[in-house]
Amino acid sequence: MKILKRIAWRLLAGLGVLWGAATLTFVMVNLSAGDTAIAILGGPDAMPTPEVLARVRSEYGLDQSLPKQYLHYIGRLAQGDLGESYRLHIPVLKAISQQLGATVELAFSAATLAVTLATALAILTAKRAEWLRGLSSGSELVVSSMPSFVLGILLLLGFSFRLRWFPASGSQGFKSLVLPTLALALPITAVLTQVLRQELEDVLEQPFIMTARARGMSDAAVRLRHALRHAMIPLVTLSGFIFASLLGGAVIAETLFARQGVGRLMVDATTSKDVPLVLGITLMAAAIYVVVNLFVDIVYTWVDPRVAAA
Amino acid sequence: MKTIRLPVLALLMAAAVLPGCGSGDPPAEGPAVVHADNGQYPASDYIEQEKGVPGGTLRVSVGTDAGTLDGHATSSANVQWMGRILFDNLVYLDEKGGLSPWLAKSWTVSADGKIYTFYLRDDVTFSDGVKFNAEAVKVNLEHMRDPATKSPLAAAYIAPYLDGKVIDEFTFQATLREPYSPFLYVLAQSWLGMESPKAIRENPKGIGEAPVGSGPFVLESYTRQQGVKFVKRADYHWAPPLIRHEGPAYLDRIELEFVAEPLIRYNALAAGQHDLSIDAPTQNAAAIRADANLKLANHIRTGNPSRGITFNTSKPPFDDARVRKGFALAVDREGIVHSTGFGEYALKADFLSSNTRFYDPAYRDVLAFNPAEANRLLDEAGWTGRDAEGWRTKDGQRLSAEIVVTESATPSAIIAAIQADVKAVGFELKIAELPAGQLTQRRNANSYQALGAGFWHTNTPDGLYIQYHGDEVTTDKRIGQNTSRLNDPQLNDWLAAARRSSDPALLKDLYGKAQQRLTELVPAVPLHESHSIIAYRSPVRGVIFDTSHNTPFLTSLWLEQGRP
Repeated sequence: MKILKRIAWRLLAGLGVLWGAATLTFVMVNLSAGDTAIAILGGPDAMPTPEVLARVRSEYGLDQSLPKQYLHYIGRLAQGDLGESYRLHIPVLKAISQQLGATVELAFSAATLAVTLATALAILTAKRAEWLRGLSSGSELVVSSMPSFVLGILLLLGFSFRLRWFPASGSQGFKSLVLPTLALALPITAVLTQVLRQELEDVLEQPFIMTARARGMSDAAVRLRHALRHAMIPLVTLSGFIFASLLGGAVIAETLFARQGVGRLMVDATTSKDVPLVLGITLMAAAIYVVVNLFVDIVYTWVDPRVAAA
Repeated sequence: MKTIRLPVLALLMAAAVLPGCGSGDPPAEGPAVVHADNGQYPASDYIEQEKGVPGGTLRVSVGTDAGTLDGHATSSANVQWMGRILFDNLVYLDEKGGLSPWLAKSWTVSADGKIYTFYLRDDVTFSDGVKFNAEAVKVNLEHMRDPATKSPLAAAYIAPYLDGKVIDEFTFQATLREPYSPFLYVLAQSWLGMESPKAIRENPKGIGEAPVGSGPFVLESYTRQQGVKFVKRADYHWAPPLIRHEGPAYLDRIELEFVAEPLIRYNALAAGQHDLSIDAPTQNAAAIRADANLKLANHIRTGNPSRGITFNTSKPPFDDARVRKGFALAVDREGIVHSTGFGEYALKADFLSSNTRFYDPAYRDVLAFNPAEANRLLDEAGWTGRDAEGWRTKDGQRLSAEIVVTESATPSAIIAAIQADVKAVGFELKIAELPAGQLTQRRNANSYQALGAGFWHTNTPDGLYIQYHGDEVTTDKRIGQNTSRLNDPQLNDWLAAARRSSDPALLKDLYGKAQQRLTELVPAVPLHESHSIIAYRSPVRGVIFDTSHNTPFLTSLWLEQGRP
């Protein structure tokens, strides 16, 4: 019962976060405002007739005061209506759902690759020869501090334009997924490996490891069966970081590799001042954050009963 | 004696592709004086030269997604060439910028210039099977101007349209409120293409995603942020007669991808992942020209050239024409233009693109770089004093102005270079970077002294009206493109008279006078021509260009066999 109450509270707090995100974005978008009608009509290249201008202003309620527009907006949100994109002339929900699949595909494959790769690297290099650790952590440092934009371009130059193994653009099929996945996954892998290795090395110092070894367990078995299990706990903690990196990275990876997706949609929506779309994507990201955090919370209580008691 | 040079750098290289600027001019001594005179491109740029081999898929890259495929509802420049894939227009232009038939076989205009009667082809269908006829034209014009369409461009282009009448199935009569001779020309622009009246009636909001036209290709799929796929329409046989293409398009399919990064567009083309890139990056132009597998085509767009700075003529210090002209004469275009054009842009010091009808080259050097004359004009305007920092002053006030530009991670090199140029004549130019929204707000509220870059593509000299006529100044009720807020009675008269006339001799006179007047009024500093630059791989053949915008016209394009 305690856990249910906890979840209910977290959900309520999540709603608060969503409302906050909606309000903040509304304020920020309107602060940088200008004439929204022009944004709807396609920016400074627009040459609308007076009739068209008047129609746009009344249709979108732009002739009303800001507080009124805000109330109207929150009211519609409460009913699950995200409104219509200014630029695309389609419902925001539709615009996002058209792109979401591609982003989820990319994010999922990048997360899987990052976790797998990081785990493997950490197991292979923890408490090993100095040069091996040094080589690994050195490359991790380079990759994690390199802007993903640069990493992406290097991948493209090498594997697409020179070797011609993978296409530079597109979102169809496995081949077009490889390079963006690498660009997105490598920086995350680097950070995860560092944390995991540190954790593994701490665990390998523990007395129960000594006991396991004393029982005659092989080094590989010790690492895989005992140490890794403990070391994986920080992964749960880091899932927030992983999620944020995926979201931020998707913006760059999708733009660079000319993939469809929510990240690229967000860039376009922001530059063209497509307010409903910016708000919609922000809310979606906030909602996913809330869910991820809730999930992490539950997993914690399950993995470590002390948390639930606290 | 003062010689005024307007050298165009590596346009020597471009001369092969810009025959107008190379072949006609005798080689000059020293840096070549190249003006891309009248942009007279050869007929082979517009007319199919040989029968192509049908088949194949053309892979195309372009920088941005149009957001909607309904040309009536957008002002996106992509429509200029993408529209030609899906839609046909009532009229087309010939290679000299004159009128030529398309879906309308012929037309008559009443003596008072208000009634246009179109005699339509009777063998055209939209891809949903609906017949193209007078009713379809009527429905289309209504759709363009219907406020619900939220047209940012098409509606304004046909603003004088009052109503339409179906005379018989293939005869349509349009009545205008007032004579408006650009009417036929704008009807040739892709934004005003003919859409299926059934689609307009049944699902007008769906046209952006599922357009139905009578064009040479039909939409197969449109994936936002990713690309568009088109397939050939087998029964198409009504390409504009001018291009002399018979029957359906040669290509089976067109696969278009939106590739935002110029670096990637270039490399993907060079690596053979695309066959054609619509926005070839100028920084890679030299590499493309040097690559035996690639071709680069560079054409000037008709309309108005690219401006470096637009003055607000309603506010000091730019309410004084001498200050504006002095400022303009202090700008040394050569280096500035090279920094963005890498030798691909033709320098420009007057107000109409050199390949626009009725362009008069007589005034092309009036605003060429001339610091001595700039200083003289600023002196004459009374800015004779100098303050401690060396800026000009008048009555204790510094000669200074602020230019507002869109903020970006990489500030415009053009504005910074202009800033340095005018500093040399004692003019302090301050740069204010603003978010796009705020910039629009200041622009519409008349709260600026100067604005940054801009241009206007159109296929008639009426672009001058759109940008410089007093009625085109933004008010509460309407948004106009006259951002210099110029309102010169004399210029207004000429530009309005040109709209009322379709007499070539009179138009030549009126537009000539208008161009001269603009070099006296100097509402802006033109920098270079606005260019359409494409790059393609050598198996791509039959590349011709649209007569309205000099963008590629894909109907006649084909792929040589044995392509990798």
